[in-house]
Amino acid sequence: MTRYIIRRLLQFVPVILISTLIVYALVFAMPGDPIRALAGDRPMSDAVRETLREQYNLDDPFFVQYAKYLWGIISAGDFGTTFNGRPVSDLIAQRLPVTATLALVTFVIQTIMGIIAGILAALYRDRFFDRFVQVATVTMVALPTLVIAFLMQLVFGLNLGLFPIAGINDGLISYILPALAMASVSTGILARLVRSELLDSLTSDYVRTATAKGMKRTRVVTRHGLRNSLIPAVTFIGADLASMMAGSIVVEAIFNLPGLGEQVYRSIQAQEGTVVVGIVTLFVIFFVLINLIVDILYGLLDPRIRYE
Amino acid sequence: MHVKNSSRRRRATGAVAVTAAAALVLSACGGGDDNGGGDNGEAAQGVEGGGTVSAYNCEPQFLVPGNSTEVCGSWVLDSLFTGLVQTDLETNEPMPGVAESWDTEDNQTWTFTLGEDWTFHDGEEITAQTFVDTYNWVVDPDNAQQSANFFDNFVGYQEVVDGDAEEMEGVRAVDDYTLEIELTEPFSPLPDMLTYTAFYPMPSVAYEDIEAFEQAPVGNGRYMMDGEWEHDVQIAVERFEDWAGEDPGLPQRIEWKMYTDIETAYLDVQSGNLDILDAAPPNRRATVESDFGENYADFDTSSFTYMGLPLYQEEFQDVDVRHALSMAIDRQAIIDAIFDGAQTPAANIIPPALSDAGEGNCEFCEYDPEAAKELYEEAGGPTDLTIYFNSGAGHEEWVEAVSNQWQQNLGVENVEFESLDFAQYLALHDEKEVTGPYRLGWSLSYPSAQYAMEPIYATGASSNYAGYSNEEFDDLINEANAETDPDTAAEMYTEAEAILLEDMPVIPMWFSNYLVVHSDRVDGDSIFMDQATYTHLEDVVVTEE
Repeated sequence: MTRYIIRRLLQFVPVILISTLIVYALVFAMPGDPIRALAGDRPMSDAVRETLREQYNLDDPFFVQYAKYLWGIISAGDFGTTFNGRPVSDLIAQRLPVTATLALVTFVIQTIMGIIAGILAALYRDRFFDRFVQVATVTMVALPTLVIAFLMQLVFGLNLGLFPIAGINDGLISYILPALAMASVSTGILARLVRSELLDSLTSDYVRTATAKGMKRTRVVTRHGLRNSLIPAVTFIGADLASMMAGSIVVEAIFNLPGLGEQVYRSIQAQEGTVVVGIVTLFVIFFVLINLIVDILYGLLDPRIRYE
Repeated sequence: MHVKNSSRRRRATGAVAVTAAAALVLSACGGGDDNGGGDNGEAAQGVEGGGTVSAYNCEPQFLVPGNSTEVCGSWVLDSLFTGLVQTDLETNEPMPGVAESWDTEDNQTWTFTLGEDWTFHDGEEITAQTFVDTYNWVVDPDNAQQSANFFDNFVGYQEVVDGDAEEMEGVRAVDDYTLEIELTEPFSPLPDMLTYTAFYPMPSVAYEDIEAFEQAPVGNGRYMMDGEWEHDVQIAVERFEDWAGEDPGLPQRIEWKMYTDIETAYLDVQSGNLDILDAAPPNRRATVESDFGENYADFDTSSFTYMGLPLYQEEFQDVDVRHALSMAIDRQAIIDAIFDGAQTPAANIIPPALSDAGEGNCEFCEYDPEAAKELYEEAGGPTDLTIYFNSGAGHEEWVEAVSNQWQQNLGVENVEFESLDFAQYLALHDEKEVTGPYRLGWSLSYPSAQYAMEPIYATGASSNYAGYSNEEFDDLINEANAETDPDTAAEMYTEAEAILLEDMPVIPMWFSNYLVVHSDRVDGDSIFMDQATYTHLEDVVVTEE
């Protein structure tokens, strides 16, 4: 197991190198001069423009720029600066907690709600609660996050005044509406997934055997039914969590949360290569890490899966 | 809809007030609470107001005066700093700032007499040398300040840029409170220009560590930083009780809250979490009355939108083609349909707030489809047009509406759109590769008819994207810049404007209106947005805590 984890961690190095290279190349390929755009309708003087281009290594060929960027990280832990002169590491340090909190709250909400709704729907199959979950989840999956976000803002924020509409000034409670908005689609999918998987396993032979042996209903459901139906759910939750950082762009913008997603969107527009690469790399690391954790969890859920 | 215009104003300060007036104000106001404890006569006048006002802002790019070229940063800096000269918001004329008075014989060598009570928020005294140091620092290419070229008509600017000199010869401290500025050419709008952000003084602490300075700028303005600039969250300032000017700010505290989404800010004002949103989304105009009742106002500004024509392309060199293109646009119809009426159709180049011509005198800005069609056909205007605009900035709809009108009214057959992001868009202009009408805008960094024209239309000027060149126009501008009598100068600028409206290197479209909404906590009558789109938070009256 340890060897397996070490091997997987080593694989991160080329993955990260290649992904930064690709992202850097994409930003580099964008036409136009970002320094020129910084000034707007009224151009800055050539002297200033040259100084700034030199400062950001923009006149170097691509590989030289990339090499300077990498060397900065390795030699001095310097992730570069934004065109406004802020260190990218500061920017990330400031924004990561916001996105991480949002992801975590979303994760907790969707996991708890999705799994519980799925289990109950499966246990009370075709009864009122099941029907309700089915209709509710279809609606949640069908409505785009954007629409749900605005609805939440309008109903719970403005009309009922239960939650803050925007910003992070009220602590954890500020994250509830955005997290609900972000969780809604996944909660719907997860509930339906758990329901159908659990129904499958509840009608399988080993469950019938367990029931026939006189085992308690709760034990049958939790130990035999649920445990086997959770593997697809864990896969889904993992993939979803991994993509959540990137998915936070829309929600962060609507709820005015100063997180990473919102920053990456703005930096792409401004062609701030170093910022985009820094944040996207973080997303990549996060993605591969979560995948590793999911793979390890498989082994815990299903002893037949072993890693060498 | 109640429209407020620039003439409404709480401040009754006349054009050029003298120090004696301050003494008068002092005795008239009497007492009052002065918790700053300043023993300095002028600053100790009783200040009413108080309370905290919060306002929407976008995240500033920079908070160093010489480097701030956009509204978000310059708005904050406007509270933190006071330049040599300020703008009288009632008349848009220059009035004393740090300089009590100024004098020139020839519009070329200017002498500024500074007030003796000015200090920075950290107590450092402001003298003529302060300005000499600041200006030289801003111009120094090593500091890469974006506004450096606002100094390009100062004697010695070029030498510093070329690295041949350390300091500009044209900025001199004659004594502690006398500053002399010498220009390469006569330039009557200098006092107007000095009101701009780039000309604010900086304290010596700024040069020690400019990055640290930017996080909490120490200025000499009505307000001082409270804590650091919290990026993307907020900037908070407190009233500077020792401010040496005559009309201190009213609120005790101003908080700018940064939002990425204006819709969110709109809802926050509605729910009372935010006091002022000065750029309410145009699509809310239809519902603003039901959303806010009386709590909104509309302001005309100098923010100018135009359709430029690349004169370096053959098909746009015929002036009749340009006239026809302009006459074929029904500006009011577009404004009503797309902007809910929130723009003022432009029949001028100089913004109405600064213009003697008032409503404008543009013969070819009148909508006249028949005459336009005739003119266009006679002149053999192009049947295929490519229209350029920058993407993602809300220009799609109206540019399409303009193209529809050209198709309908002029018999243009094929229209293609080139929508590019801003960096690419500007690159295309710099390379002179634009082949059709293009959208651009202009807003006034300082309130002067000169600035509304010279940078865009003078031969070889920095923002002359049309490639326009007219000797008569250039001469008129130069003469007006040299003219010592302001009224004669104003006439000359109006004459120069007439040439532009006849030659039509760009088609004037409109000047923007801004919709300002506010909460119940502030007095709506005290909210004022000037022609440059700055809302003057220092004048806002907070009615409840």
